[in-house]
Amino acid sequence: MADADEDVIQTPSATAVPPPEVDLSDETQDFRFLNHLNFFAESSPNIPRRGEKDFEPNPTEHQADVLSASRGAMHNALSYPRLHAPKTRIVAFYAPNGYTPPADRATPKAGGEGANPNPTKPAPKPTRVSPDACVYVPNPKGQFFKSMGQADPTSRVWLLPEEALYLIERGSLDIRWPSPSGSTGSEEDLSIPMSLQAAYACFIGHGGLTLERYSVYTGLKRLGYTLIRAPGWSDDIEPQESDTPDINEPAPRLVGPGLAGIFSSLFKWIHDPYSTASTATGPIIGTGIHRHYMDVYRKLAIIPWYDPVTAPERHPSDTTPPFRVVFHVYKPSTPFKKSAPPPPEFRIAVVSTRDQTTMPTLMQLGSLLESTPLDPPRGEKMDRMMYMRLRHGYRNVIMAVVDQGVVSYLRVADSAFGKEKLFESKAVQGHKRNRNQKSRKR
Amino acid sequence: MDFQPDLPVPISYVSGRYLLFSIDVVTYLRREHHICGVLIGTLPQIPQQNVFLGLPLELMPEEARLLVDKGVACIVDETKAHDGMNTLLEEDRRRYLRDLESQGLHVSRIQTDRKERLREQTMKKLEEKGAKKKANASAAAAQTSAVPEDPTSTPPQSQKDASTVNLFAADESQSSSPAIEVSKNTTPQAPVAITPATSYPPLPTPSPSSYLSAPTVPPSYPLFAHLHSKGYFLSPGLRFGCQYMAYPGDPLRFHSHFLVVSYEWDQNIDLMDLIVGGRLGTGVKKGFLIGGAQKGIDDVDSEADRIDTVRAFSLEWAGM
Repeated sequence: MADADEDVIQTPSATAVPPPEVDLSDETQDFRFLNHLNFFAESSPNIPRRGEKDFEPNPTEHQADVLSASRGAMHNALSYPRLHAPKTRIVAFYAPNGYTPPADRATPKAGGEGANPNPTKPAPKPTRVSPDACVYVPNPKGQFFKSMGQADPTSRVWLLPEEALYLIERGSLDIRWPSPSGSTGSEEDLSIPMSLQAAYACFIGHGGLTLERYSVYTGLKRLGYTLIRAPGWSDDIEPQESDTPDINEPAPRLVGPGLAGIFSSLFKWIHDPYSTASTATGPIIGTGIHRHYMDVYRKLAIIPWYDPVTAPERHPSDTTPPFRVVFHVYKPSTPFKKSAPPPPEFRIAVVSTRDQTTMPTLMQLGSLLESTPLDPPRGEKMDRMMYMRLRHGYRNVIMAVVDQGVVSYLRVADSAFGKEKLFESKAVQGHKRNRNQKSRKR
Repeated sequence: MDFQPDLPVPISYVSGRYLLFSIDVVTYLRREHHICGVLIGTLPQIPQQNVFLGLPLELMPEEARLLVDKGVACIVDETKAHDGMNTLLEEDRRRYLRDLESQGLHVSRIQTDRKERLREQTMKKLEEKGAKKKANASAAAAQTSAVPEDPTSTPPQSQKDASTVNLFAADESQSSSPAIEVSKNTTPQAPVAITPATSYPPLPTPSPSSYLSAPTVPPSYPLFAHLHSKGYFLSPGLRFGCQYMAYPGDPLRFHSHFLVVSYEWDQNIDLMDLIVGGRLGTGVKKGFLIGGAQKGIDDVDSEADRIDTVRAFSLEWAGM
């Protein structure tokens, strides 16, 4: 009577061992466990396991002590400073006006005073520094610049706001304010280090970076993924010139053979009696002699279905923000080259729950999916297992739903149920013989 | 430990969101006002994980509003405030840089001191090992030579922790620890560069005239404020299928008791929503709590009066 999950609830399992796959980041962690870590140690510490929590507060001294110990530990952990040892220190400069081509020689002052944010100026190399970049590193060294930043002709590396913020937050970059204009002598002297607070104030909201997008960026970076901005990053992207013929006609775009196209094919089916010759006049399967069940089933398949393969690919400008891909994501194991990024492994759209309080409409979701390239299920495992094929789908996109700093990731895939002909798979056929015979009698 | 900041504490308004950067303020609000927020930053000491996160702390608009209404906090447009960075006087810059340098020196002293200690400890271990070997062979004469280092090389664990904690407390007594002498013997260290968490020392405290108005809040605010006034700690709950999670005490130490969803007083509630919420709540050993304010904003004088008219109900599957 009771199914499995109901049984679980019934057992008074207050002391039950948590399942091994608990996502620790799901709930508030007891920072006391961080105390066991040696903060100043050189080796990277391990993450402690989670501890027991109490059911409800009681006026015991013991509980008060444990709580204040937890809070103290949290305080300590969070007040840990961001330090830059002289050997590994990487200095960067904030350039509020964005990228400026170097005047004569790359002096730190050039970034602060140039008023021309035009990114297309540098002629010598075809390097294009994004107009949103606002921090530059004169002496880039270390692993981070393998996947971040864009070098300009004078080999300064320009960082996008999210990259700079991520690096300063993890204590890997020492960003300096531009020196006060008009100061003489050594500029190094009076350039003040940027605080974390200043970095948030300056970078969030700069060049389309929202706090939600940054939360997704930094959360995945912490796990080792590589992220780059997708073409749909800015809200006011223009449709590409190359596919203008497709896009300049709004009417067929809306009723194209996408998800909405189901309806048009449904109408076609009603109005075109030839294709399903017998429906109007007689039995669906016709009156002839049938030698094989397959033929019968094939004729019975009269309900039109949506084939994701035939749906046209759409430009990101067809989608409605926030349901638009803003990040391309690569697994940590994928070799990544900044200059020629490989095709992305995941595409992420970022949704803020406070700005978007409803589910996406079918139209929004459809155009979001169709703005991603076809990714049919491939490989030996997929060929063998139907449910994996269905789950993988033909197009997929990940939606990161950010609720006040709490990020949930949802994968949306375009499954093609119509492509899975159950009657053609042999294993199923054997099992279902009885039922098939019954249905024939009717 | 029980730090009391000057009220009202500034909440940074950055691009439509409410953030806190000062650890003292974060601890204070948590302790005294039961406001937890969500930590969204990377911990610099363990940057490649998502289990323990650090500053800044993101506040829900509801939380920020509650604090402003209580007079505990004010909203500061941080982007505007940082425009003041350009107009900072030269002497202020100098003073600030000097401060940072002395802090940096202090840190590097602690670090070298620590290295020294570690080195001594390993040396001692090696010596002891050697001594044991010798002891096996001959008399214990060799052991006396290893003793003199003893007082400095075995510092109590607690003292080491204390120095980590109070790294930036100005009143840290530098002369008390025996370690300083050791570091003075070694070559002088270059100061470690520091990225500060907040911009206030160099920037002047914002004036009350620059405070922004109280945050606009969603219609669920009365229920939020009502539960908060009853001593609950609330956190965003969409991931768990509700609007807020209600904890009976600090989420550091307690599991949540309720999944909270707010409704308008006259709103029709789909029975299916109650069943879904009730089953979900019972399934995770929590109550499903719904509620709302009886009076609309037009019927009463202020938002605070609405909060008094909130009623809440909790649903639980008695048997399943």
